[in-house]
Amino acid sequence: MKKLFTLVTMMIMVVGLLAACGPDREEPAKSGKTNDKEKETATEEAKPEKLVVWEDVDKSVALKPAIESFEKEYGIKVEFKELNMADKMRDQLRLDGPSGNGADVVTLPHDQIGQVVTEALIQELKVDDSVLNTFTDASIKAQKYDGKLYGLPKATETPVFIYNKKLMPEAPATMDDLYAKAKELTKDKQYGFIAKWDDFYFAHGVIGGMGGYVFKETDGALDRDDVGLNNDGAVEGAAYIQKWYSEGLFPKGIIGDSGGATRDGLFNEGKLASVMNGPWAFQSMKDAGIDFGVTAMPTLPNGEHMKTFMGVKGWHVTAFTKSPYWSTKLVEWLTNEENAKIRFETTKEIPPVKTVIEDPIITSDEGAKAVAEQSQYAVPMPNIPEMGEVWDPAKIALETIATGKADPKEAMDNAVKTIKTNIETNHPAK
Amino acid sequence: MDSIPSTTKTPIIPPLKTKHGRNAALLSIIPGFGQFYNKQFMKGIIFLILTVAFFSSFYSTLNWGFWGLFTLGTIPGVDHSVFLLVDGIIALLVALIGLLIYAVNIYDALNNGRKRDRGLSLNSVREQYHNLLDNGFPYLMISPGFLLLIFVVIFPILFVILLSFTNYDLYHSPPAKLVDWVGIQNYIDIFSLDLWRKTFFGVLGWTIVWTFGATTLQVAIGVFLAILVNQKDLKGKAIIRTFLILPWAVPAFISILIFSGMFNETFGVINNGILASLGIDTIPWMTEEMWSRVALILIQSWLGFPFIFAMTTGVLQSIPEELYEAATVDGASIWQKFRSITLPMVLFATAPIMITQYTFNFNNFNVIFLFNGGGPALPGQNAGGTDILISWIYKLTMTSAQYGKAAAITMLLSLVVVTVALWQFKRTKSFQEEDTM
Repeated sequence: MKKLFTLVTMMIMVVGLLAACGPDREEPAKSGKTNDKEKETATEEAKPEKLVVWEDVDKSVALKPAIESFEKEYGIKVEFKELNMADKMRDQLRLDGPSGNGADVVTLPHDQIGQVVTEALIQELKVDDSVLNTFTDASIKAQKYDGKLYGLPKATETPVFIYNKKLMPEAPATMDDLYAKAKELTKDKQYGFIAKWDDFYFAHGVIGGMGGYVFKETDGALDRDDVGLNNDGAVEGAAYIQKWYSEGLFPKGIIGDSGGATRDGLFNEGKLASVMNGPWAFQSMKDAGIDFGVTAMPTLPNGEHMKTFMGVKGWHVTAFTKSPYWSTKLVEWLTNEENAKIRFETTKEIPPVKTVIEDPIITSDEGAKAVAEQSQYAVPMPNIPEMGEVWDPAKIALETIATGKADPKEAMDNAVKTIKTNIETNHPAK
Repeated sequence: MDSIPSTTKTPIIPPLKTKHGRNAALLSIIPGFGQFYNKQFMKGIIFLILTVAFFSSFYSTLNWGFWGLFTLGTIPGVDHSVFLLVDGIIALLVALIGLLIYAVNIYDALNNGRKRDRGLSLNSVREQYHNLLDNGFPYLMISPGFLLLIFVVIFPILFVILLSFTNYDLYHSPPAKLVDWVGIQNYIDIFSLDLWRKTFFGVLGWTIVWTFGATTLQVAIGVFLAILVNQKDLKGKAIIRTFLILPWAVPAFISILIFSGMFNETFGVINNGILASLGIDTIPWMTEEMWSRVALILIQSWLGFPFIFAMTTGVLQSIPEELYEAATVDGASIWQKFRSITLPMVLFATAPIMITQYTFNFNNFNVIFLFNGGGPALPGQNAGGTDILISWIYKLTMTSAQYGKAAAITMLLSLVVVTVALWQFKRTKSFQEEDTM
């Protein structure tokens, strides 16, 4: 009886508390509207005291000179902080942005753009056509999502053909030549050519070159409902990939997530004559004392160039900045010709600025030249959030093709089915 | 809790004529007034001040927090649902602490009122103070730790529980959008959507095999080696023990990565060195589901046995020698001594920790993820051949940002782990009575 009574009084207390609840805040919808107006009249925006930039780890050597000249030109102080671009940057912005500690300008890999735009972490950029024209078309396309521009490209990378000059004096021009050479060189734990084609990132070069595609591009936007990974070209590409594994040219030991390290180890030990890899691998090859050459990927048996995936790192203005106008100015400044050159000289990252690509500093650098050439044939990785559903099923298909567990056609059909189900389940139509 | 008398039992309960107990408890609805009624003014004032202080300092926290918890925000771009959820949980915890003090206040008034009903005298302020020190001292000492516990342990658990009832995913991500309460929709989806359900049971099956296989093996090896090394006649025990502890000393993270290289089909030392010298053909450790599973169980046994070994060694050394001597006198065989003395003693002392080994392996993400990333891939399936529930969830959520569903599956996982752990702990003798021996 008494317990019941105590319980009832407690209930009354709770209800009393809840009844008192309610938004006694000022109507914030108005401030939201004024924000939009501010954006429209951005040109009259007052100069901020400082801007904050988040740069990728170990890349601030290229940022410092650009910041200094920006401070001199406009008198706005710029601070920077290094964060791992692949995941930390986005995660940190998610937390710090809404609480007011976020950066004004961040750098992100372009395949995250769709996601961060959906979450409203970065904002659209208003940039003159004269500025846009200084960059390569593909790199600008990578910075667009739903037809709107969300950043300016900082650097590009794409896999290229790297060969050990001691084992393979000259780079073959076609995959058929390479195939013949690999047949000859692969014996006694020595290998002629290895590419991680069980990884969709590398395999897309073959599948894309044979006519497959991830999402069909229509009017500058990617169509998530049209997945072309099991069309005739893609299956042909998959069959071509299987050939390299089934004939023993690629060892089984490179299949799977840890295969990349094995591949690098083989090349750096001089047991592998040539490899398909990205420019990030150059340094460790140099450190290992390998005398290597770099060219664009050899052409496929159908005469087409490999359509490798291109990754574009870009500068973006966050949605949390109080000075969108000056942040945009800073992004333009960081990517201009002069600073792009400094970036290449200090970090070896290749900026997709047309004049810099044609500049002797790049054309005289074998690696950079090869990457720039291969970039012409490359396609940017799709940057819509649905791409997240492609990697795993595609990897599963390619792995089973590589191990011979599945027939190419069947495996690709399965992958597309899974991708479509995943997209329908996890990405409701807009 | 401050004035609960330590012995209120009187042999003869006098008939109650007055209703001081009820009156005091009723008046205590406004904290302190019950105490005033009992003429304990000092205590009454303290309760009253506490109440006023509580509301004046926490009013906005509670108001904002509960509003946020119920609505999760109303204006996209301004209200951040996840932050509101956090504020709401804090408000909830603060309110619970407040309610606790409130309950103490009513209970105290009721108790003292009853004492008056029975004609007993009430404690004076001085007595109350001593009472508080004597009876309340343990509570006083643990309260800072307990408060910390609430925010370090209870808070995250509440967050996950609540998150599993929201639709938090990429398309309902603040600041762009608001998160909404969706009830048990996430749980329904997990069992009704083909994509999620299909693989669920396959993965669950392997998770159970993995948990029991790997853990039982590591426990068996650990206990066996400990008994072996503990033999009286063995020389150089210290060195042998050091060697056997080594796998524990090297960070598992590094060991697993090295194992992953050693098990490589074409280049790994296991196929090329060890098995080749025995004349055994190459075994597809990384690309055949069955062999990957075997490799993983072996690796986990290697990683896990030193802990069991160290623990068992400690227990073995504390078994009195007399027991064995008496057994020898009675003519017991070595096997009988092991069955009737060693094993029960070891299991009695270590069972709770052995059980935690099972729950640990049930969620052993590291070894699965680092060895082969849950691979090899299986055609027509969403999870890899060695994915256990936790690594599969990781993949599903990291690729599609389904935070709400991830929380829901985490709840299901915890349900399994908690149930098994509770059930086993309750059956373990060492948790039932402390003085069985």
